[in-house]
Amino acid sequence: MRPGEDQLKAWMTRGLGGDAAAHARLLGALAPLLRHFYRRRISDDTEIEDLVQETLIAIHTRRASYDRDRPFTPWLFSIARYKMIDHLRRVRATLPIEDLSEMLGIEGFEEASNASIDIDRLLGLLPAKQARAIRHTRLDGLSTAEAATADGIGESDVKVSVHRGLKALAARLRGEPQ
Amino acid sequence: MNTDQLIEQLAREVRPVPRRSRTLRLALGVGAGGIVTLAVLALTIGIRPDLSAALRGFPFWMKWIYTVSLGIGAVAITARLAQPEPVRLARFWPIMLPFLLLAILGAIELAHTPSRLWLDMWLSKTWKICPWLVLALSTPIFVGLLWSFRKLAPTRLRAAGAAAGLTAGAWAAALYCLHCPEVSAIFVLTWYTLGIALAGGLGALIGPRLLRW
Repeated sequence: MRPGEDQLKAWMTRGLGGDAAAHARLLGALAPLLRHFYRRRISDDTEIEDLVQETLIAIHTRRASYDRDRPFTPWLFSIARYKMIDHLRRVRATLPIEDLSEMLGIEGFEEASNASIDIDRLLGLLPAKQARAIRHTRLDGLSTAEAATADGIGESDVKVSVHRGLKALAARLRGEPQ
Repeated sequence: MNTDQLIEQLAREVRPVPRRSRTLRLALGVGAGGIVTLAVLALTIGIRPDLSAALRGFPFWMKWIYTVSLGIGAVAITARLAQPEPVRLARFWPIMLPFLLLAILGAIELAHTPSRLWLDMWLSKTWKICPWLVLALSTPIFVGLLWSFRKLAPTRLRAAGAAAGLTAGAWAAALYCLHCPEVSAIFVLTWYTLGIALAGGLGALIGPRLLRW
């Protein structure tokens, strides 16, 4: 089982406190996670590995941008996504930015996160597991497998959580009693 | 180099990161830049000779509170944009509050002034140079912020550039108060704000190039 949010966050926090061993374990755990994340979007293995390394370096040098009071995986995948867009822009220099954002589904993603304040409030009404599953798959743009990894639970568990959570939210939005 | 070696190498230099380091780093950038701005201001256009008298009057504090509150708000926005997670820009609307409050003050001021004096009050003596001086004085602070960003992770570079520009502009304007002899709210509302906005616009323009990582 791959380490989930809680474990990654614990390593990150200890690393920020100066614990080199925890930091090494964090980076070691992130490498396969990032590889998997990029593999869905990029086919070339060398490119993926370069990107993984670049992202690890960014995570290392820019860890001051992580806020210990917030969840870790959204921070991680925001950096991973940024690095990927930057990479694609560089490698495929002729690709217009509009096409790129379309290709990556950035616009849908932006829109989804634009409502994040309301969404935060709504998700707060759900059990933590359901809220997390919805956040990962619907807001952070993770695949079911990635969300399962991040939370350290099974894929079907993620799917069920998302389904139940969305159903509960829909019921609430329609004003039905719980 | 393979990834495992890279990780090993990165894990060799793990310095502790204090809890408030993001804010601290931004404050350090603004502070260091501000010292340079202050020195440039003192050595070139100079601090107004009647400063101690001005400190006892209302206009100085009006200008100071306006620019400093904008400066604090802009730093807060910059700090948020220095984190990689997606953010909704509309939530930064409170940065408009100082402007709105000063606009109300300006309206009151106009109501108490005969309309034939309005133009003089609005343009006064320094309207042509005020925005440009604010913009020029903002440069060291902007450079300071570029340093701050080196260990931070902005993902919306244009917005982050604009926020850094606004921060630099607002704090440059706050220091410019030490020189500026103007007293009217509508003067500050227009020409100070224009200088700060120019700095923000320039930041938005060059942000994507300079903040890329």
